[in-house]
Amino acid sequence: MNGPLKTTTPVAPVPAATIVTAKTEPLPFGRTKQAQEAERALNHIIDDFDDNPKAMHYFYDLFRRVYCRGESIAAAGIRIGTTCIHAPEELVYAMGATPVRLCNGSYHYDQIGADFMPAKSCSLVKATLGMLCSENPVPRVGKLDLVVNPTTCDQKKKASAMLQEMGHPVFDLELPNVKESEASRVYWRRSVRQFVEELRRVTGRKLTRRNLKAAMARTQRAEKAFRVLDGFRRASPSVFLGKDAFLVVNAYFFDELDRWCEAVEALNAELGERLEKAIRAAQKKAPRIVFTGSPPIFPNLKLPLLIERAGGVVVSDETCSANRMLYDMTAIDEWLLNDMVDSLADKYLKPCTCPIFTKNEDRRRRLLELVTKFSADGVVYQAFAGCQVYEMEQRSVAQTLNEKGVPMLYIETDYSPDDEGQLSTRVEAFLESIKTRKRNRA
Amino acid sequence: MNYYAGLDIGSTAIKVALVDEDGKLAGAHVAASGSLFYKNAKEAFETLLAKLGVERRDVRYMIATGYGRKLYKEADDSISEITANGIGAHEVGKAHGGVRTIINIGGQDSKAIQIDSHGGVTHFVMNDKCAAGTGRFLDVAARNLEIDLDELGDYHFAAVAAPLTINSTCTVFAESEIIGLLANGHGKGEIIAGIHHSIAKRTVRLAKKVGLEDRVYFDGGPALNRGLVAAIQEELGREMVVPKHPQTTTAFGAAILARSEFLAEEREFVADDA
Amino acid sequence: MKSSLESVAAPALQRSSVKNVLRDAVNGVDFNRFRFWLQIFFFVLLVYGGYAGINFGNSLPTFSCGYNSSGRPGVCYLMPLQHQLAMPWPVLFGYAGITVLTGFFTFFLWFIVLNKGWCGFVCPLGTIQDWITGLRKRVGVRFARYSHAQFQTLSWIKYVLLALMILIPLGIGAGYVSRDMSAPFCAICPARMIIPLFAADFRQFMVDFSSPTKIAMTALGATVTGLFFTGSFVKKRFWCFFCPMSAFHYLLSKVAFFRLIKDGGKCTRCGDCYSVCDLQIKEIADDVKTPQIMMDDCIVCLKCVAACPEEGALKASFAGMTIFESTEAGFVKRMEKGVNS
Repeated sequence: MNGPLKTTTPVAPVPAATIVTAKTEPLPFGRTKQAQEAERALNHIIDDFDDNPKAMHYFYDLFRRVYCRGESIAAAGIRIGTTCIHAPEELVYAMGATPVRLCNGSYHYDQIGADFMPAKSCSLVKATLGMLCSENPVPRVGKLDLVVNPTTCDQKKKASAMLQEMGHPVFDLELPNVKESEASRVYWRRSVRQFVEELRRVTGRKLTRRNLKAAMARTQRAEKAFRVLDGFRRASPSVFLGKDAFLVVNAYFFDELDRWCEAVEALNAELGERLEKAIRAAQKKAPRIVFTGSPPIFPNLKLPLLIERAGGVVVSDETCSANRMLYDMTAIDEWLLNDMVDSLADKYLKPCTCPIFTKNEDRRRRLLELVTKFSADGVVYQAFAGCQVYEMEQRSVAQTLNEKGVPMLYIETDYSPDDEGQLSTRVEAFLESIKTRKRNRA
Repeated sequence: MNYYAGLDIGSTAIKVALVDEDGKLAGAHVAASGSLFYKNAKEAFETLLAKLGVERRDVRYMIATGYGRKLYKEADDSISEITANGIGAHEVGKAHGGVRTIINIGGQDSKAIQIDSHGGVTHFVMNDKCAAGTGRFLDVAARNLEIDLDELGDYHFAAVAAPLTINSTCTVFAESEIIGLLANGHGKGEIIAGIHHSIAKRTVRLAKKVGLEDRVYFDGGPALNRGLVAAIQEELGREMVVPKHPQTTTAFGAAILARSEFLAEEREFVADDA
Repeated sequence: MKSSLESVAAPALQRSSVKNVLRDAVNGVDFNRFRFWLQIFFFVLLVYGGYAGINFGNSLPTFSCGYNSSGRPGVCYLMPLQHQLAMPWPVLFGYAGITVLTGFFTFFLWFIVLNKGWCGFVCPLGTIQDWITGLRKRVGVRFARYSHAQFQTLSWIKYVLLALMILIPLGIGAGYVSRDMSAPFCAICPARMIIPLFAADFRQFMVDFSSPTKIAMTALGATVTGLFFTGSFVKKRFWCFFCPMSAFHYLLSKVAFFRLIKDGGKCTRCGDCYSVCDLQIKEIADDVKTPQIMMDDCIVCLKCVAACPEEGALKASFAGMTIFESTEAGFVKRMEKGVNS
């Protein structure tokens, strides 16, 4: 009231802190850290080596689309997520659904999972859980109508409850702890039948002889294609590198089955030509390595890549993300439904060399057989830090191999990308010692 | 006169060694890695050449090893420090009855290596995830006790009472423990002896994984510390070979390998011609 | 995409030669069909061969039943054995002992050629069981399995029958047992009633009322034959599990020429062999240490070899030479046929 109205606007006190708001727009998937991780891994796989087989471009392209650009892989119809190779996929296909292997290899999801998992847990379980609690995870598997979780190792078992809390419908596929006993065979067969019942509930379809046969015809095609591919890896000098082999089988997790078979068949044809033309993928003296242990899953192909960049070649493997997934084939005596289901069940249990079982003499025999069959010079044993069973089996495997004069390198690692320097020292020292040994023997 | 060079580019120190045509050590040099290790490596190499009066062109082959081996592009080849250490220890050990086990304590890691009768590596284990039990631990301890690294050995032997136990498994937490012990009036000697024993226990435990075989060769920078050597000897209970210049064994091994690789290539070259 | 694995996979690892081509053809054979026709051939030979005047003698190691009087091309050894053992002891352990020995020796010579392959490929009773199994499959009924405990207990029966088959005739010869019990095994053997049927001979289809012993034995025989039919319908090779001929074979099998060999190092323990085994033999899958893997129940039908996907893990060999072995390519071919049937 006194005097003219001041026109200065009152100055608000400066706040003690600045408020930072999150960006309102999310990054397009291709620019996220996760996509970058995948992109980096894929570039190493492609660019660090020259003369990749042309047929591999189907797979490189597939991974680029799914992992780097976030393309959807959502198959038509009902999707059954699986967390382990023990879940019989033939049954899923027979009931008209699509199995999707959920095991994840991304460091990004590993860190998300680390938020609610104990510190010393297996990276694979952390990553899988991290993926499954994310809103729109990559690979884009879409909505899962069921998650089948075989009761394998401790961490997978406990993950069952966590998955349920995340809102996924979970089915515990009961796997026995002992492989050898008759009781476990009976138990597992019953478990598989329970699984069939569960699938019937979810899909609304019945398992019949006809649809199971049709499903088995499709998976048989995949197993056969895989075996032919596997056969090529026996060639010395090598015509095909392990990093590509891992990628091919990793693609099986989520790729459409028939399309995958076609792509592998094309790859096999090309490898046949390469073999005839004596095109080499690795040097003649490159140390040949059998890779065993915790499964390398894209983008965590860190260790096989390291081995091959250092001049070795991974000629074979004994891991559940590659060889063990597709190697064993089912024999059926009478093509009647119950016989088929029982034989399938046996195939998934009896030859399995996963360390979750009490005794694992089969794994040691298998490794020795692989070393012989693929003319390998040494074995690299990867154990994820926190994987108790693989860590404990390391000693007996090392002993068995050393008794037969096969050198073994034991590496404990996880998904974090920061131990490459340390790993490369070990891997290179190992490969060098193999070369020296061969030279001295000559 | 032909020379062959081995360059060990570690995270803490750079070591260069030169061997002559007959495979005998001509000379070696140690320098700090610093942060510009490429530049420092080059300088260290040139310093050694100058010291020995050798021309660059007389060095026919160079092998780089150690943490920075891949990035030193001027080297002709690179090998892991494990292989190099094996060759070097084998060579030095020849004059002392032969060695089969090597314990190496470096700036940031520690290793145990088993070699065969030709010096080839048969088995090895490394600890490179944790600085406890490495040279870093000694650095930290010396700093807290306000003494020089070279004095550690003297203090060890000057200890009157029994060595104190250091409970912390982590270097960083051990710092606080050391300060606490000092504050409680314990002597530096006893503390240092305790640290040495702590490292020794850890190291020997690592070495047992690889299998201990006579004789045990001990190298790496910290092997200059007589106190540490004594502690390890006690823990091992075996005959040990400690070289006069333990930091340079690996570089020496790399230089020897440089010589054999060069000669082998020459032979192949000649054979191709013939 | 070629159907044979070898031609696509690593041709550099396999040199094609006549030997390899022949080997691949044999190992990739449509095994079930091959066996089916071979069994028919032997069935005709052993049930009707007599009409063509064929006579292989009286020491055949298979059920070429003596009761099929005109059709048989020789007699199943068990019949003459039981009659010989029933001779009075002074005779048996006197000059007639030579007969027993020559009879046995001839039997042994026949046996070691095929080992227990006589059971799997030649025996007409076995073939009949396989036909009944085929009928069951066509009707779509699933087969029954013994539980492990049942298997363990029941597997002794064949040895008991073998022992009785020898002891009772000896008892007759010593005068302790009535002559009505002569050829006690033949009395209960299902072949006695069944094989003559194929020659339209129904004379064995009766209960002999001439004495209480005979009534008991022939009634038991009829029961066993009844069990044979019902058992064979629900269980693959039902009779073979209890057959004393099988037990007798096994006791002599270590020196036979024809063998079933397993290379344990190659075995992945996948259990495919066990899945197809008619006799539910676990050892074929589980034992990875024993090379001579033929067990007492094995009939050497070689279905296991045909069902094994690992190269060279199982093989049938004759005098050291491999005749038929498991191959990846053979396995795939057979399973592809099965899944597309």
